[in-house]
Amino acid sequence: MKLSQTSHRAAGFTLGEIMLSVAISSVVLAAALISMVSLQKSFNAVDNYFGTHMQQIRIIDYLNRDVKRGLAVTTSVDLQSITVSMPSYLIQSGDPEAVADPSTIGTPRTPTIVYTQTGAQVNYTASPMTVVYAINGSSITRTENGVVTTIASSTDQLVPKTTDVELANTEYANTSVTFNPIFTMGASTAARTGTNICSTAYLRNRRRG
Amino acid sequence: MRTSQQKAQRGNVLICVICTILIVSLIAGNVLLNCVTRFNVASSQVRAWKEALTAAEAGGDIAYAEVRKTILDRSHAFSGWTSAGAVYTSPSPAPTFGADGLMASSTADVFYTDTNTGSPWYRLRVKGTAPVLGLKRVGMDDRMGVGTRADSLLRRIDFNYDHFTAAFGPNGNGAGKALVGVNGPQISRRVELITAPMTPFEAAIKAGGTFYGLGSAAYVDSFRSSNGAYDASVRTNPADWRYVDSQAGTVEINTSVATIMGSIYGNVYTNGGTVTKNTASISGLIDNNVPFTLAPFVMPDVSGWTFVSSPSLVTGNTTITPPAAGTAAKPSYYLLTSFATNGNLTVNPVVTAGVPQETYVAVHVTGDIGSSTGTGPTISVPAHVHLQVYFDGNFGTKAQNIINTSGYAGNLQFYGISPTDPNVQQTIDLNSGGGSIAGFAAVFYAPSANFTINGGPDIVGAIVCKNFYANGNVHWHYDRALDIQGDAVDYRVASYVEDTR
Repeated sequence: MKLSQTSHRAAGFTLGEIMLSVAISSVVLAAALISMVSLQKSFNAVDNYFGTHMQQIRIIDYLNRDVKRGLAVTTSVDLQSITVSMPSYLIQSGDPEAVADPSTIGTPRTPTIVYTQTGAQVNYTASPMTVVYAINGSSITRTENGVVTTIASSTDQLVPKTTDVELANTEYANTSVTFNPIFTMGASTAARTGTNICSTAYLRNRRRG
Repeated sequence: MRTSQQKAQRGNVLICVICTILIVSLIAGNVLLNCVTRFNVASSQVRAWKEALTAAEAGGDIAYAEVRKTILDRSHAFSGWTSAGAVYTSPSPAPTFGADGLMASSTADVFYTDTNTGSPWYRLRVKGTAPVLGLKRVGMDDRMGVGTRADSLLRRIDFNYDHFTAAFGPNGNGAGKALVGVNGPQISRRVELITAPMTPFEAAIKAGGTFYGLGSAAYVDSFRSSNGAYDASVRTNPADWRYVDSQAGTVEINTSVATIMGSIYGNVYTNGGTVTKNTASISGLIDNNVPFTLAPFVMPDVSGWTFVSSPSLVTGNTTITPPAAGTAAKPSYYLLTSFATNGNLTVNPVVTAGVPQETYVAVHVTGDIGSSTGTGPTISVPAHVHLQVYFDGNFGTKAQNIINTSGYAGNLQFYGISPTDPNVQQTIDLNSGGGSIAGFAAVFYAPSANFTINGGPDIVGAIVCKNFYANGNVHWHYDRALDIQGDAVDYRVASYVEDTR
């Protein structure tokens, strides 16, 4: 029994040892915690960056798809909205064909050929349809025949800017989209500039008169 | 007792280690999940969506090439395609191309026939498909608000079934809806192209070779016959509402050899020439970097035309009165083995109840038409007659022997069929001689022929030839209404739409 008690006392820690070990552990845990928080923030920033980048790509893809099939593109003076007129390929509810025969809703039209002073012209309808892209708060909307679709939504200030350029024998639209990454100090201009992606799309149906 | 305490301490360590591994694994799993989602979207879905359009446009190019063959290489047009009714379908199964196994399938059909020329317009519907690589993953919309979709509205992935066929039918018109399985995740995009026939007379003078002329006091201007008869005062009067149509007397030259004389109220294009601006003689633009290609002209397909066996040659006074008025797409067709120098051909319109009908006639002369010596043969076309003359050999007469009563150049069209022997040089010689000012209204399309004209005739029309030479004071008036006249010489893509469903 005596030996056993002696053994227990020998295995114990002094107050100093415990305080020292607690101090070291606290430092290690604090470092780990800070690292974890920092890593989490870094991950969030990177994840957000790529998530927003995907939205940039989506905006560009939407615009390019519509510009390619467009007859004309106009951009607002403040470069914050874009209007694309394009052939109305599908019969939609309310169209004369749909009123005459509702079963035609959603079917493709056969174009008519009209001879103008500038030559033969392919018309799907008498007047083309329009698609408008615009910034609405922190979202970017696409409006087609009155139907509004939010194509990008972000608190990171996604900003598309499109300019249409008309040359003698063609027309194309330049588009650039930027956003402000999170965790940047004071929404710096340099940080936004660094996110810029741009694209050029040519109008396949450009009409010259 | 000691042993028991030691075991308990080991257990705590094990639990701590397991918890740590669990936490680290959760973090790693979360990172991996996000990375995989981004990777799927960026590397697979976005890429496949873009490649599907590339495939569709490549299929469109293939179909467009087949349409062009209907003019440039008729015997091989739509070779290997299947036809049902008036619709051609590309070979099936759709061939794959590219490193990612892209596929394209196409249909082509004639949806409109030009009433002026009888040329068909083709509609090309093309489906391009690209496989979505990797596993069947979604997760496109996680950055949008609740109930808001974006990527899935734009990029529609077929994971198990072709959504388009299921919802809209294979042709997109609601017929034949069916659940059709797909081999793997894929994205399909559909485009529709309209190909329009290109008419040959888009410029006043178009020379595939050299150009010399016109005379020093000659000029080339333009007007639009649909706005009224030619008025010589318009070209110098910018206040006239027809002025814009008077400045289209364009000359296109596909070599650097361009000796420009006289006044040109239009543009001048050369291929590497050194034409410089002289505002007194050229009113429009000068561009010395405009190359173009003139394909050899071959006899059009006559299978749909109404063949009339007599007359079979022209010698002396010869009159053609067709049995029916016909149409631009189905004219009365005469095959003439010769057209003598002393031949005088008159083509009369069909008259019904005393009223002359718009009458369409095509004549194929398998040899020469006249010669440049002597008085030369005569061709008379009264009003209401639309005559197309195809000739295999040379053409020679005087300008005043070409009589087109209507004054509309589109009603008298000459086509020089390109010789198959490259050593044979085709010629068109309108030797009016001296100061003759008698002219004609007609158009010539002879991309392999050397064209020569002298004298000072007043001409309404257009010409496409190889080498152009004119040394007289010709007054040449290009009619802008000719841009919708003439046999198709090629096709162009006139419209592009995408079916975004």
